[in-house]
Amino acid sequence: MKVFKRLLIVLGAAGAVGMLARVRGKGGVPPTTGGWRELEGPDFR
Amino acid sequence: MTTALVVGVGAVGTRAARQLIDTPGVDRLLLADRDEGQLAEVARAFGPDAQAVDFAPGDPIPADVDVVVTALPAGVDHPVVTAAIAAGVPVASSEEEHDALDQLRVLDPNARGADVAVGIGCGLAPGLVDALARHAASMFEKVDEIRVARTGWAGPASVATVRHERRVPVRTWHDGTWREDHPHGDSLVWFPEPIGARDCRTVTGATALLVDAFPDVARIGVQLGEPPKRARLRRRFGDDGEWGAARVEVWGRRDGSFDCTVYGVVERTAVAAGAALAVVAARLAGALEPRLDRPGVHGLGALLDPVPFLAELAQRGVRAAAFEGVAVA
Repeated sequence: MKVFKRLLIVLGAAGAVGMLARVRGKGGVPPTTGGWRELEGPDFR
Repeated sequence: MTTALVVGVGAVGTRAARQLIDTPGVDRLLLADRDEGQLAEVARAFGPDAQAVDFAPGDPIPADVDVVVTALPAGVDHPVVTAAIAAGVPVASSEEEHDALDQLRVLDPNARGADVAVGIGCGLAPGLVDALARHAASMFEKVDEIRVARTGWAGPASVATVRHERRVPVRTWHDGTWREDHPHGDSLVWFPEPIGARDCRTVTGATALLVDAFPDVARIGVQLGEPPKRARLRRRFGDDGEWGAARVEVWGRRDGSFDCTVYGVVERTAVAAGAALAVVAARLAGALEPRLDRPGVHGLGALLDPVPFLAELAQRGVRAAAFEGVAVA
């Protein structure tokens, strides 16, 4: 019975972590270098 | 004298109407909406050049209309576009839901036969990003992949469409063929600041319009961010529209190496969508040069030359940006 309860707790914890990972998304790698430059006249030629 | 019929004066339609009435080549606006109170208020706000008319989807297009602009909930555009093609009047539609877009694309032979140009998916994404993708693609010898992402929504109808797209099975363009899949989880997408990183999910969306415009590209994907909960309630308490952002990545080969160009836009979604819709409509009507007169039903990636379109939008305050740095595959 004790083993069964522990198994349930472990499964529950794993499920919670899985849900959190799903809600937070798979993630990605942030673009660590560079930035955004507004398009101006020369870009429109 | 140029007359535009704007059908639907919600978040996007009202902005499009404002942009049209501020366009020197447009002389008169006819406005239609099922909400008579909202219609009367908008018509009054726009002054003597705007007039409310009794028009509903399925009705014939009124006489002397030079262009029809639709900003309606998903799936309602079809009868309006059909009537416009029958009347020989060009149309700019802000439709963005994938099934509804497919129904409009089916009208392509009719539009070609009637020598009528119909622009569909005229908004932020689809719409402006399709033109950005075309602009970016022109810098490559061969394009391998196009990825488009958007976060932000214009009004309640837009929120409903985004929620629907994120829920239903996905069709993506992979290795030159359609692939069906269930929606996966979200992944982070980096938009220009101040939006920054947002969770987005792959959807069907307007992938077909990009495939029409770039048939030789092997992989095309569209992602949408999740709308906030209780969006309608937030709007009622003064949140008058969400800031949105769009991003397009084009991967391909140039100068003998594999490279990537990333463009992005940050703007209130309804403002960007309304401006894009109005510029396309004005050019279809000939009120702005160069005139769009390619017969058929097209997304903006296939319908127009991106340079004058992006320049016109920049003049109206909707400016795109290029990411300069190391893009991550």
